[in-house]
Amino acid sequence: MIGVAPPAYDPAAPTTANTLPVGASTTVRAYVVELFRRHRRAFLLLITVNTVAVVASMAGPWLLGGLVERVSDGVGDRELHLELTVGLFVAALLVQAVFVRQVRLRGAMLGERMLADLREDFLIRSVGLPPGVLERAGTGDLLSRITTDIDRLANAMREAVPQLAIGVVWVILLLGGLVVTAPPLAAAVLLAVPLLVIGCRWYFKRAPSAYRSEAAGYAAVAAALAETVDAGHTVEAHRLGERRVELSERRIKEWTAWERYTLWLRSVLFPFINVTHVMVLASVLMVGGVFVLQGWIGVGQLTTGALIAQMLVDPVGLILRWYDELQVAQVSLARLVGVRDIEPDVGDARLAPDGRDVHADQVHFGYLEGVDVLRKVSLEVAPGTRLALVGPSGAGKSTLGRLLAGIYAPRDGRITLGGAELSRMTAERVRSHVALVNQEHHVFVGSLRDNLLLARTDATDAELWAALGAVDADDWARALDDSLDTEVGSGGFALTPAQAQQIALARLVLADPHTLVLDEATSLLDPRAARHLERSLARVLDGRTVVAIAHRLHTAHDADVIAVVENGRISELGSHDELVRADGAYAALWRSWHG
Amino acid sequence: MQIQDLPYPDPGVPDARSGPRFLWWLFRNQRGGQLKALAWGLLHFLSVSALPFCVGVAVQAVVDRSGAQLALAGGLLILCCIGNALGDTFLHRTAVTNWITAAARVQQVLARKASQLGSALTRRVAAGEVVAVSTGDVEKIGWFVEAWSRFTAAAVTLVVVCVGLVVYQPALGVIVAVGLPVLALAVLPLLPPATRRADLQREKAGRATELASDTVAGLRVLRGIGGEELFLDRYRRASQEVRHAAVRSARMWALISAIQVLLPGLLLIAVVWYGVHLARQGRVTVGELVTVYSSIMILTYPLRHFEEIAMAYSFSRPSARRAARVLSLERATDTTGTRDGSEPPGGDLYDPATGLLAPAGRLTAVVCGDPDAAGRLAERLGGHPSEEGAASVLLGGVPLDELPLDSARTAVLVQDKDPVLLSGTLRELLDVPRSGDVGAEEALAAAQCADVLAALVQGSLDADDPMDARITERGRSLSGGQRQRLALARSLITNPEVLVLDEPTSAVDSHTEARIAEGVRDLRAGRTTVVFTSSPLLLDRADRVVLIHDGEVAAVGVHRELVRSEPRYRVVVTRETDDEAALSRGFSELHEKELQEIEESA
Repeated sequence: MIGVAPPAYDPAAPTTANTLPVGASTTVRAYVVELFRRHRRAFLLLITVNTVAVVASMAGPWLLGGLVERVSDGVGDRELHLELTVGLFVAALLVQAVFVRQVRLRGAMLGERMLADLREDFLIRSVGLPPGVLERAGTGDLLSRITTDIDRLANAMREAVPQLAIGVVWVILLLGGLVVTAPPLAAAVLLAVPLLVIGCRWYFKRAPSAYRSEAAGYAAVAAALAETVDAGHTVEAHRLGERRVELSERRIKEWTAWERYTLWLRSVLFPFINVTHVMVLASVLMVGGVFVLQGWIGVGQLTTGALIAQMLVDPVGLILRWYDELQVAQVSLARLVGVRDIEPDVGDARLAPDGRDVHADQVHFGYLEGVDVLRKVSLEVAPGTRLALVGPSGAGKSTLGRLLAGIYAPRDGRITLGGAELSRMTAERVRSHVALVNQEHHVFVGSLRDNLLLARTDATDAELWAALGAVDADDWARALDDSLDTEVGSGGFALTPAQAQQIALARLVLADPHTLVLDEATSLLDPRAARHLERSLARVLDGRTVVAIAHRLHTAHDADVIAVVENGRISELGSHDELVRADGAYAALWRSWHG
Repeated sequence: MQIQDLPYPDPGVPDARSGPRFLWWLFRNQRGGQLKALAWGLLHFLSVSALPFCVGVAVQAVVDRSGAQLALAGGLLILCCIGNALGDTFLHRTAVTNWITAAARVQQVLARKASQLGSALTRRVAAGEVVAVSTGDVEKIGWFVEAWSRFTAAAVTLVVVCVGLVVYQPALGVIVAVGLPVLALAVLPLLPPATRRADLQREKAGRATELASDTVAGLRVLRGIGGEELFLDRYRRASQEVRHAAVRSARMWALISAIQVLLPGLLLIAVVWYGVHLARQGRVTVGELVTVYSSIMILTYPLRHFEEIAMAYSFSRPSARRAARVLSLERATDTTGTRDGSEPPGGDLYDPATGLLAPAGRLTAVVCGDPDAAGRLAERLGGHPSEEGAASVLLGGVPLDELPLDSARTAVLVQDKDPVLLSGTLRELLDVPRSGDVGAEEALAAAQCADVLAALVQGSLDADDPMDARITERGRSLSGGQRQRLALARSLITNPEVLVLDEPTSAVDSHTEARIAEGVRDLRAGRTTVVFTSSPLLLDRADRVVLIHDGEVAAVGVHRELVRSEPRYRVVVTRETDDEAALSRGFSELHEKELQEIEESA
């Protein structure tokens, strides 16, 4: 075996576009500096206790060296000072034990504090992202950052940073100890350094990305299986069992190819390290031995030097062990810090709507440069009107809904609420007037109470029950074991989609905005459940302005005004009866629906 | 087994009777690898343990002022150096190979088990367990299997060195031989509580990660309606709890580290004290004293493997137990069948339990007031349902339950309410076993997927052809309606003798649904199709509409006719305005009761 080339397939390569920015190196550096500054005292403390521990650890070799010197000189019992030496030895050992414990503990405390800071910073940033960025980017990228990247950083923060600090101080002190013992011995140690440097340079150039690929490959093995399990029904119905086994085995092959490559990398590095360790000891013994024979240094110094050289194995191992972890962590850190590069939501806090009229005037909008999804859309929604948007998938209904909810700003034209431009208001202001409800009925992990309180944090239990009552949810909510304190969401009590939907609507009742945009809010439900829910909804929404992106025609039927959106334009506009009379696309659909 | 030969052509049948038996099965299957690792491990540890002897020889050489002896020490060091480097590198290679081959083998048997269990798995709590074994337990099992050879080599080395020291320098050697086992065992009692604290920390960290990802997953909701501070506070609390648990765990490990310094140190001091006395009496040489001292320093290295194996075992034991439990799961029903399945049956599909008949070559729509009952009926139409009980559905008079599972699935494809899109490219998604000549293009057109294809291309990194665009897990990057249409296209491509669709368009808007109804009808012309739906747009295009009520066929006809003649039908398929509802309330007591049932089921 001459060598192993890195596998061609890289499972760590991105498959979907990064929808959020990745931090530039200057941003990352600034963040690291800030992190260090914040934890300066803890760092100093760690280095101090570490210094004491290492210095104490050198007492043994030093005292033994003295004894060896005196024994080989054949001094008398009085001059041997055996009891005193042993006493010092015991004292040094106790100091060392106490401080080693401190080093370990302080290292963990520092690491944990930094890690906690990092993950909390990230979440704080994330929840401050402008709604438009979230709609556009989706939450997938953010989600992978908060799980995978935080995970990767956990090791680096909690272990690598403190351990590297410890290791570096340790090596420096041991070398210092050697210099104090006998300078030529310290020089002898340096003979081995070039070898180590060569090996490490070769290795660290390749290792970090290889480990990242290896980890991604391993995760892909587990992911393939998890998918087979999750899709059990589909796999069986389509007779995909054998293919899933083949896929798992292909993933295993890809993963093990990377394992083989990293094993090869270590197969090169290990001999370098092993030879370095023995060479350090050998050069101290040989060079030192010759010096003793020449009478330039004493045999005691040689003994002390050899034992200290032997102690270098641990800190060098520590540094090598954690160095690549730090390199891997850099990439993850850049991804986390990248969220800081997103412009926070800037809105004019003074801007407030006067009235409830929604007005769209000659609006153009597109997600990509030069491709408009909406063209020349003008619309007026009077307070209390129920407007239904209907039309085929991809026609731009949802986009129009989001513009009306102030999530996106039009490329051209204006959308105003009570005369004030929506896109220039702050997100907090917009949402106190307009709420967008989409298919996503997320039930948060936590109590039922928390799931409702988010809409109005100061609501009393009585108000929460009133809101649940308004959406017909109080019956099942009262039947829960712990009532409002029942843990729901993933891992807790499993709510049905209909119940989740009711929670979402109860939040609306609590938030009480005067204008709502409902984007296929009931589409994921069983049609029968959806119908029932829409009935409760109608009660709740009485008197409010409602823009409903209708997906079932009966929703349209009940609306005051129906806008048919086709191909980015409003092609028909009017009440149900008017449109049926006009005998256009809507009328044709209605007839087919109603039989 | 070499890494490059993985995966195993046949990973074998695991001994899943218990956790330890499973570990033993893995071990037995790589005995050669274990022996190799043991041999290299011995070379490594013995070379390392010989270093103190070299140090002693060198020190004695200068005490005796002998250049030749110093050169001898140098020569010995070179030998140790080579033995150490070779031994360590190849120990690592062989041990890691053992780890990887064991992990790959477990993953392979898991994958086989999962695809064999299929739909039986999702019903059980075990689904989560399979994933847990694959993501966490495999590593722990692999760790123990791998650490075993290293531990054995270290243990043998310790015995050899102790015997060697007793022979080399009996007076001091005895102290070391007595002291070392104490060192080896001293921290073992502290390991279980330390491990428990580490587990607690991991658990809390998992909880914090869950809260964070949950908050992010619902971020659009939070940003839309408020409550960010509430959730941030909650996360901060969880995050600080992790920190406290981690520090608590670190306290224990810090104590263990201190003991690992203290005990060898005490042994060293005893050796120095006693050794200097002996040296003064001329019973040991200075070189021998240094050798013994240096030995104790070095032996802490193999000693650590005692802790490691204890921890690896305590971690891997529950993991192996869980793996064994998962691997011993079996399907509740017999899948081999009692009939010959080589000749696929054809003809009318008939369910004796409900009386539902789907004539061959026609499009039958089924309306059922209770969505759960509809789901169960749809599943039974495919044969081999997960819940036994009712008599088998007949296809052309042949009971599907008596056919081999694979033949039944080939003849009848049941697309359930929640079909899962498997991740991969669109081409891979649509590349399913098929029994006809429906092309991807036709199927995608029939399912009205044009805008899905456009969205896929837009969201992908480098694909211009939508067939190369990647679909993420469960198609999460697509909307509910888009997912449904892709799943429908996949089922159409399969083109089975009988296709059963359960609410295939519930998340699709009316415009598109109408077009899909046309598309499916045309594409399935001449083949048997059953659609469970309540959408008038689909019902209107069916050859035959069947209303199921209380588990039995209540009415059969066509949509327009049933809407007029059957109030129970009307209440399910059309949403009546309040006036109409008031009118129909008079129709019958039955009707009212059903309305209530619907409301309850909602």
